[in-house]
Amino acid sequence: MKHIAKLAIISCAVCLAIVGCSKKEPPKTEPTAEPAPAAEAPAPQPVLNADSLAAEQARLEAERLEAERARLEALINQIMSEDVYFDFDRFELTEKAKELLAQVGELLIKEKRFTLTIEGHTDARGTEDYNFTLGAKRAMKVKEFLAAYGIENERMESVSYGKEAPKAQGETEEAYSQNRRANFRVNIKQ
Amino acid sequence: MRKTVVLVTLIVSALVTGAFAAIDTIAVDVGISVFKTIPLGVIPFEEKKGITWEEEKPHQIVTRDANLSGRFDVVASDKFNLALFSRNHAEYYVTGKVSQKAGGLLRVECYLYVSKSKDLLLGESYTIPQRELRRAMHAFFDQVTKRLCGERGVASTKLAYVSKIEGVKQVVVSDYDGFHRTQITRDTSISMMPVWTLGNKGLVYVNFKTNRPRLYTKAFGRSEQPLFTQFDQTYSPAVNPKTGELLFSSTKDGKTDLYVGNMESGKARKFAYLKSNQTSPAWSPFATEVLFTSDRGGGPQIFVMGKDGSDLRRVTFMGRYNERASWSPSGDRIVYTSMDNGKMNIYTCALDGSDIMQLTNNAGNNEHPTWSPDGKLIAFSSNRSGSYQIYIMRFDGANVTRITQGGENTAPTWSWFYEDNSQTTKEGAK
Repeated sequence: MKHIAKLAIISCAVCLAIVGCSKKEPPKTEPTAEPAPAAEAPAPQPVLNADSLAAEQARLEAERLEAERARLEALINQIMSEDVYFDFDRFELTEKAKELLAQVGELLIKEKRFTLTIEGHTDARGTEDYNFTLGAKRAMKVKEFLAAYGIENERMESVSYGKEAPKAQGETEEAYSQNRRANFRVNIKQ
Repeated sequence: MRKTVVLVTLIVSALVTGAFAAIDTIAVDVGISVFKTIPLGVIPFEEKKGITWEEEKPHQIVTRDANLSGRFDVVASDKFNLALFSRNHAEYYVTGKVSQKAGGLLRVECYLYVSKSKDLLLGESYTIPQRELRRAMHAFFDQVTKRLCGERGVASTKLAYVSKIEGVKQVVVSDYDGFHRTQITRDTSISMMPVWTLGNKGLVYVNFKTNRPRLYTKAFGRSEQPLFTQFDQTYSPAVNPKTGELLFSSTKDGKTDLYVGNMESGKARKFAYLKSNQTSPAWSPFATEVLFTSDRGGGPQIFVMGKDGSDLRRVTFMGRYNERASWSPSGDRIVYTSMDNGKMNIYTCALDGSDIMQLTNNAGNNEHPTWSPDGKLIAFSSNRSGSYQIYIMRFDGANVTRITQGGENTAPTWSWFYEDNSQTTKEGAK
């Protein structure tokens, strides 16, 4: 019981944080939030006949679904583009990573149907075996952070790709730093 | 101790640096090996006219085997030349005869003689289609090794490794010299980390078809089976050389641990209860102990423990990144990979971490060392030529020879000895 209360407080805090954030960062969050209420608006329209009414309702419904789909797609794309980066052979979250994960956490709290696969990756240096472990540690760290943020563990799974799925090719520090990351795949629970 | 290590490293680097020039065969005298090779005379086989050779001729295959073996140095000669052989201390020589038989078969007679007396030490004959010639010659060369060294050679063994085919990592198998490559996996998702099951009957490897690393086994000529599906992510397989049980890493409950399981029943249990993450397990030759990597000091270091998890000791202390150890077949040394300044190199040391020898230096990344079953050779992958390829060297770092060409080839694992002669096509003789 106490637990739930605590969670509620956290959620409230998070909600407040969202309001606060969205003001600071209009381009990302606001347009995604708009289309849904807009779709509900066109209720008072002249009634013509039953057939055209049904057609109109179907059209509106389709539009609403399309808007909802676009909104979710935008959100999913946003989450999937949020890579979290790590230092060499480390799995601790940097301050920047925490900020980014907080944004992801907020989106997940709003969108209850979203489930998350967290993928941990390493750069090309080192052995395949140890890099699997390192990637797993990175993914776990992200999962722990989001769990502490209030995301249910059942909505998240973590997986390591070691050094097998680099984002950037090449043997430069630039490429290495791009590849030492955790990223997300989003699924929608039916 | 550290001082000696540094000193040895310095000596090795001083000697080695100039010698590596990204070419196919590099003879490197590391200066601290006392291993002596046996000079062996090789004379082209006498052949009846009219044979069209599709690949290498018998004496060329023997020459390659001898040079790769780490045991012999070939003294090549067009014909018997006692002066040349004695000048080069070649006390023995190999030659033979080839003739054509009905049905497109070749009859290959192979002989090992004493140079001075021309006494016959060993004679074998094989009647085979030409595509079986390499296997027959490898079998003969293993007999030569047995006769002259008193030990089993590895000319009839194989390697499993990972090859990038149309952009996807696939598991392949080839003869130990890189010839006769066969593709084992044909997936759109990557396959990796192949190891041999007992009796060389098949492989265990990792595949990503479920979007997670998972172990599979495939007996040759049979279909693939997923392994230990009760676990989430499984990798780093190591086959127990006595029982065939599989030791592996799995990430479960947010931590990577070692588990051991029976591949037939699918049952598995945690191998050791440790606080650290553990990966890259390797059995000792008699399966009494296990090497593994632990991150309990921050970076990866190599540890050893009994098969019941007892008597845990740390093996590597030099450097911050020591990983993926494997135990020499004789049991007295380990080979592993160490990272320094972002470059991977191969080292061996004794089980107490002393007597460190650096085997590769200043030649790109050198990774994934695997012992030949006779302990004389180490295969590994290196990008010293610009792309990752498989190389073989002697256990002391000498005689580095590239055995794969083109594409990208990594992560070799040497097969066990073949217990019967079915591999060698010898029953086709006579």
